[in-house]
This record gives sequence, structure tokens and C-alpha cells, in this order.
Amino acid sequence: MMKRYAYSLLPAVLAAALAMAGPWSFISYTRPFPPADMLNEVRQSAVEDVMALSLGLRRLAADLWFIRLMQYYGTPEVERLKEENGEVELEENYGGGEYPEFLHISQHILALDPRFTNAALYSAASLAFNLSRSQEAISLLRGAMIYHPKEWKYVALLAAIGYSKAKDPAKVSELITPLIMEPDCPVMIRQLAAFLNFKAGHYRAAYEIYKTILETTKDPVYIDKAQREIAKLEKIKGF
Amino acid sequence: MTYLTTTWNIALHSLRENYKHRFFGLFVIFAGILIYVSLLAGVMAVDEEARVLTDLGLALMELITLAYALLAAAAAITNEIKTKTIYLIFSRPVPRPAYLAGKAAGLYAASALMLGVMGLIHLSLLYSRGFTMPPFYLKAVFFIWCKLLMIISVALFVSFFATSTVSTVAITGIFWTLGHFTSEAKFLVARSSGAAAAALKAVAYFIPNFQLFNVRDLGAGAPAAASPGFLAGYLLLWMVVPYLFSLLLFRKKEF
Repeated sequence: MMKRYAYSLLPAVLAAALAMAGPWSFISYTRPFPPADMLNEVRQSAVEDVMALSLGLRRLAADLWFIRLMQYYGTPEVERLKEENGEVELEENYGGGEYPEFLHISQHILALDPRFTNAALYSAASLAFNLSRSQEAISLLRGAMIYHPKEWKYVALLAAIGYSKAKDPAKVSELITPLIMEPDCPVMIRQLAAFLNFKAGHYRAAYEIYKTILETTKDPVYIDKAQREIAKLEKIKGF
Repeated sequence: MTYLTTTWNIALHSLRENYKHRFFGLFVIFAGILIYVSLLAGVMAVDEEARVLTDLGLALMELITLAYALLAAAAAITNEIKTKTIYLIFSRPVPRPAYLAGKAAGLYAASALMLGVMGLIHLSLLYSRGFTMPPFYLKAVFFIWCKLLMIISVALFVSFFATSTVSTVAITGIFWTLGHFTSEAKFLVARSSGAAAAALKAVAYFIPNFQLFNVRDLGAGAPAAASPGFLAGYLLLWMVVPYLFSLLLFRKKEF
């Protein structure tokens, strides 16, 4: 008799416990991600986004969008076509251009994974220093800081953008120096730091940063550029 | 003691049955191939290769183990009923709760084994590319397993009233996706009112909150979604309650 009651009573008691744990878990759960209305559709991404959210794959989706962003930004916008020595040669504006989707894709990445620090740094630095869209870079970083308010790298980059607007490359280079000391610093920022140091006349610092680029990145474009700059500095300054 | 021994024996048998099943091997091989193919995505990510390889590998491990676990859980008892093997088992003094607990434990162990093997394949890939194990890796794999424990328990329960293996997999698959929508459900509840909000809340309250365990998606820097004590209690409830309801349905079946 007791056993019979136990069979029906125990599930009922535990189901009641579960019924209480459900609301508790739901109410006390703090959203670690931006609300759904922050996730704007980019390049007809709705189905992919829903898949990512429903399978709990926000981080992976952010990774894939970051690859797409790099491919998008890595495909040069041809500035002009010129013929030299009978050959057709494409001259590119290194890192510059329009890239109208750049901000939307960057925002999409951060809406999917607001803790993707390197994506935020890469995007903001590209917008501010290569594409001359400082306001967009600032708004992107401020959005990223909502979910990562203690990230000093964002603060440093924000300050650097401020000084770049004031046309003070030496101060910008000083501000981003702590960023480039980080082992996972995006190569784009290292490249920028080297360039600014060179511009400010700090050749030894620029030389060291280019050497770090060679040691840390796998990106052939940056490796090639760093090698050329190192060779140039060795020739001019005899390092 | 006899009860525990019986449960242990059935769990061991269930685990052996699982890893000897050709699908188990096929799933692991398939996962291994996919994990190694993810190298391509890693190469495209250039300096974010470590992150992409980690995320893609963990996601593949979770989805492939989930697919296997759902299929195995959906068929674990129904197949024994169909093939009448269960008559042989119950011709001996095997208590039904012990049988059911053993079957569930066998499935939990099989999913742990599958995750472990795939984890080793994944780590070998990371090491071969010159990366070390990410700091949150073991925690992420453990929490993937916790989610699987919950969904296996639900799948076993659903298999008692679903009409086929496919419908069990479909129903538990819906649970899985809804369980990851907690963040969005909270947003929707905040935006709706009246009957719609009440209905949404009711659904959200009675679906396992997998987001609590989704460490894989939060990475290393994010704060924990809940205290360890609450997580352990919540996990235990989502394992025990479906088990007890399964037992209620199982008792009504005549062998």
C-alpha cells in the first residue's frame, strides 16, 4: 500500500519542486546577451540567426560572422585601374574604402557575442583609423562596453580614437601601446601602432612592433607588410 | 543492495550495448572527420583560429552526441519491448525502477564516453595546431554533458507515450531548442502582456533552462548563470522527475 502511494506521491512532490524551480530559474536568470531586438538582420541572416539562438550557438555564429567580416574587408575595393609598362595593374587603397556593410556586420557580431573583444577592437580600429568613421567606431565600442564595462582595452581604444581626431599620432601611439602588449591583440592594431610610431619618429619602437607582428600573426598580408617595413628600417636606420 | 547491483548490471549492459552499436562508432568517426574538417574554418579565421577551432569543435561534439543520445534514448526501451527482449529480463527478479534507472545510467555513461572520445580528438587537433586547452574547456564539456543528462531523461519519458522513435526525437528536439531560448523568452515576456505573457511564462517555466548550463556559449570571461548549488539541484530535478514519471507509465505496461 505504502509502495503504491510512494509511486504516485514522490513524482507529484518532485514535480512541484520542479514547478517552483522553473519560475525561479527563469526570473533569476540574467540575460548575458543583448536583447533580441538588438540582433538586426544582415545579408538575410534571419534563418541562420534563429538557428544559432535555438541551438545555443551564439559564439560560433559570431565567429562565422567575424570570418565573413574579415573576408569582406580583406577584399580590396578597387580605387582605380592604371596601366603601367603595358600591364594592367590594380592599385588599392590599403585598408581604406567605403565598405558600407562594415558597421552592420560588426554590430551583428557583437549582438551575437558581446564578449568577443577582439572582434570589437578590430572593427572599431578599422572604422576609426582606416575607414575614417570615428563616430561609428565610438558607437560600436560604447555598445560593446554595455556588456563588458570593465574592459580596459575598449577604454584605451576610445581614448586613442579621441586623440586621432585631434590629429595627435604620438598620443594615439602612446595610448594603444598597452593594447599591443596583450598576446591576443588583433594584428591590425599592432600594425597601426607600428605605423604611428614610425610616423612619430620612434623608429626603434616601430621596428620592434613589426618584429612582434612577424612572430604572432599568420595573416600573409600583415607578414608581407611587416617584412617590407623591417627591411626598410634596417636599411635606413641600420637596426 | 540487490536493487543497486541490478541497476549497476543493467547500466553496464546498456553501456556495452551502446558502444558496441555500429551507430556509436559511426557517430564518433563522423564527428572526428567533422572536427578535423573544421581546420578549414580555423585557417580562414587567421589569428582567431584557436577560438574558431574551439567553438566549432565544442558545438560539433554537443550536436553529434545529442543526436546519438536522442536516438539511443528513444529506442532504448521501446526496442526491447518490440523485440520482446524485455520479457526475458522481467522473467528474472528485476525491479522495474532498477531496470529503468540502469537503462538511463547506461545512456548517461554512453554519452559521457562519446563526449570523452570526441574531446580527445578535438584536443589532439588543437595541440597539433600549436594551441593549448582553452581555460573553460573542461567546464564547457562537463556542462554539455549536464545538458545531455537532462535531455536523455526527458527523451526516455517521451518514448513511453510517443508513437515512434522519430516522434520522440522530434519532441525532445523541440524541448532542446526551446530550452536555449530563455534569453529571448525573457525579452518576449517583458514585451508582452495579458494572456500572451501568461502563456509564454507557462511555457518558459516548464521547459528545462539549458541556457543555465550553456558555458560553451559564454566563454571564459562571463559570470556564472547561477550558483553551483542551484545548478546541481536543478539538474537533479530534471533527471529525477522525468524518471519518476517514466516509471509511472512503465508500471502500467504489462509484460
